[in-house]
Amino acid sequence: MKSLSLYVERDSFIHRVDPITKLFYIFAAIIVPFVMKDLTVSIVCAAVSLILLAVGKVLRNAITVFACLFLIMITIFLIQALANINNATVVFSISGIHFYAEGMINGVKIIMRMTDMVAAFLILILTTKPSDLVEDLIRAGFSPRIGYVIMSIFQIVPHMAGAIDVITDAQRARGVETKGSLPVRIKAFLPLLGPVVLNSFMNTKERAMALEVRAFDAKNKKSFLNEAVNFRHAMAYRVLFVLLAVSAVAWRAGGVLL
Amino acid sequence: MISVQNLWFSYEPDDRKRPNPDKKYALRDISLEIDKRPTAIIGQNGAGKTTFVRILKGLLTANRGAVTVMGEDVSRTTAARLARNIGLVFQNPNDQLFKKTVMDEAMFGPLNIGMGEGAARKSVMRALDIMELSDKLDTNPHDLALSDKKLLCIASVMAMDTDIIILDEPTISQDYVGREKVKRVIRLLRDEGKSVMTIIHDMDFVAECFERIIVFNEGEKLLDGGAKEVFSDAEMLKKAHLEPPYALQLAISMGLGEVCLTEADVIRCMMEA
Ligand SMILES: Nc1ncnc2c1ncn2[C@@H]1O[C@H](COP(=O)(O)OP(=O)(O)OP(=O)(O)O)[C@@H](O)[C@H]1O
Ligand SMILES: [Mg+2]
Repeated sequence: MKSLSLYVERDSFIHRVDPITKLFYIFAAIIVPFVMKDLTVSIVCAAVSLILLAVGKVLRNAITVFACLFLIMITIFLIQALANINNATVVFSISGIHFYAEGMINGVKIIMRMTDMVAAFLILILTTKPSDLVEDLIRAGFSPRIGYVIMSIFQIVPHMAGAIDVITDAQRARGVETKGSLPVRIKAFLPLLGPVVLNSFMNTKERAMALEVRAFDAKNKKSFLNEAVNFRHAMAYRVLFVLLAVSAVAWRAGGVLL
Repeated sequence: MISVQNLWFSYEPDDRKRPNPDKKYALRDISLEIDKRPTAIIGQNGAGKTTFVRILKGLLTANRGAVTVMGEDVSRTTAARLARNIGLVFQNPNDQLFKKTVMDEAMFGPLNIGMGEGAARKSVMRALDIMELSDKLDTNPHDLALSDKKLLCIASVMAMDTDIIILDEPTISQDYVGREKVKRVIRLLRDEGKSVMTIIHDMDFVAECFERIIVFNEGEKLLDGGAKEVFSDAEMLKKAHLEPPYALQLAISMGLGEVCLTEADVIRCMMEA
């Protein structure tokens, strides 16, 4: 079945890291540059996240996402360079429009933080199977119901796409034209919606029953089909990430106090 | 009516950059001609039967080879246009039914291929009568029993009055009464001069209703011929993991020299002997 997940199957160190540790990394990667309002720190954090993507052999897949963000980044940079309130030092001018140093530095900072944050999330998304993440969360004590809801979100869209294919075939088989010009396609698509939604609801009901007859609701401890991603130094890394975040906050708090 | 030449089909798409050399083919080099004889397509699960008829119907496109339906090249037309000539009853009724009432479901095909409303209604009522569903016109198809769903699928394709009708496992989940209904329909369609093709796992049913048998095995056409001829080829049947019909097994173990396909055959042979 098609899947909504962006998981890319590769063999890499990052793929072997367990999902929860990746969540800790995201936490650190967001906190550190935000509290240490320093340009160099932002650049270093962004670079680290990008390098980790490269180590995970998914940099190329990440580029597509960054390409979509590119326009937003350019816009932010321009707005900052032209209209930041702290703007004072003109670096250069193009046909009477002044570009200011303060704004440009701030723009780069924001872009670096965005890059860092997006890259950190992509590390999780591109190198982790959604099911591994959800199972790990349940192992860590999250409710299986919430886990199921999260998994359903990953499944419902591909499922609907599948249902559309099935019903399209049923309609084509009995003389509905589905190929050709845009109006023909739209005319063929609209009558699909009713049956597709109905079909999904029916499936939801049956799935709920299927879960119940197999003791989804049972209160005992569950076991799992997939083994937990066993990452050897998980604890060490998690502590490291928390320490980084905490020391960033401490450093900043100290700086403010001094 | 239908002509198939050197047909190859795979569900695995070709890589955009380089063709995939170890691609698995669901159908390999199939060539055959379908005529007016009622034809059964038999073969193990996964042999490629459903895939084959979906290609004839234009729902799937062959990777290689040519398929023509009533002189029309399938690759140059659409499934919608083919629907005027060829009707397909899906293997899984839940894949075929999508309307809210039995009547709407059955009317859908005939109206789409341009039958007038009056004619469509007449054709639909006749088909539903044969299937004994005419007292359930306002029922939601999904509330029908599985066996009735399948009969409704058959009725709604029958109502389209196409020259070729393909049934994918029509006896699925049918009890004795349902099986008899399906048998009646197949005979009726044959008598009306339509060409009926049926995918089916029930060998006794095959022996009773079909003149020609095509055997698929692992994506290839293994045998193609008259019912007696195919069923007497014990070796090939074994290769395709198929059992001959019960009557034939009986005749063989009784030492009757003739290829008997039905109980009536067996009795006749015994009387003669
Ligand atoms: N949608 C699909 N995508 C990928 N592979 C498929 C798909 N449908 C069928 N196949 C594969 O193609 C092969 C032929 O399947 P097909 O459904 O044509 O078999 P069949 O002869 O109709 O079997 P059955 O008697 O079980 O209905 C099988 O190996 C099957 O797993
Ligand atoms: Mg099949």
